[in-house]
Amino acid sequence: MDCAPYTLVTGASSGLGRSTAVRLSRERNLILHGRNPERLEETLGMCLNRDRHIVWAFDLKNPGELAGSLTPLLAASARSVKAFVHCAGMVTVLPMRSVDYRVAHEIMNVNFFSAAEIVHTLLKKKVNGRALTDILFVSSIWSRFGARAHSAYCASKAALDGLMRALAVELAPAIRVNSILPGAIQTPMAAQGLADPSIAEKLEQDYPMGIGRPDDIADVIEFVLSDRARWLTGQEIVIDGGRTVNMSLK
Amino acid sequence: MDGFYEKIAEILEVDTLNPSEELANFPEWDSLSVLSVIAMIGSDYGVNLTAADLRGVATAQALRDLVTGRRGR
Repeated sequence: MDCAPYTLVTGASSGLGRSTAVRLSRERNLILHGRNPERLEETLGMCLNRDRHIVWAFDLKNPGELAGSLTPLLAASARSVKAFVHCAGMVTVLPMRSVDYRVAHEIMNVNFFSAAEIVHTLLKKKVNGRALTDILFVSSIWSRFGARAHSAYCASKAALDGLMRALAVELAPAIRVNSILPGAIQTPMAAQGLADPSIAEKLEQDYPMGIGRPDDIADVIEFVLSDRARWLTGQEIVIDGGRTVNMSLK
Repeated sequence: MDGFYEKIAEILEVDTLNPSEELANFPEWDSLSVLSVIAMIGSDYGVNLTAADLRGVATAQALRDLVTGRRGR
């Protein structure tokens, strides 16, 4: 398959995914994924080298239809994907007694099953040749800990990390697979929580370096995808401003 | 706002709900129920509330009024 390799970034229409896409656009051809075509075009407008990137609008709540959407996109111009960054994610704050199968499945579809289905699709020789060399999942420090009313979210991110480790072994040495585990980042997804003054105050206390910015994560993603990280695979990379080592009582 | 009280009743795990009854009287009205209510109102009525918004809300009727007012903005 002779074509310029792309980096696929899911969730590129806002927050961490958008910042990652803008950062990676300096040196990479991108497939910008998101649900909303208009917001994807906004992201495209923020990227460098705009004519090198394409958009892919698809709702990850339907992973069963994902291959049928992604495969023609790649086949259309003999495109191949060299790197896959799964930034897409959703969170629902609900106690377990309100988390029925439908709620849990929706979160798992977006945060976990869609990532697995994209990898599955990109590993098919007829679809992507042997182009894939890097997989990076944006997980969360919440995959390692508990939080009230976040059961489905914590479980989905833990599933993502489990998949990461298994794939790192299964796909080596051709493909490196890692997870990024950010702490609280100023994104639209976190905005509702941060709008509550009591939550914002607690986060400021819990994070020795303060709440993170999307660029803090994008910088590390750029490094992990680069050749400078050649020997890095199978790792959960925590970037949290010191949150998970902070045992201060006050 | 169809079915609003029925949804609140479901979160509070009661069969029926008197809209004017104090929410504090329900055993299931706790911080986790508040989160369920916030999520339900956000997804079903498109109104984003915070826990602080609900602190001054005493009854289901008052909650409905709050949501109605926010939707009208």
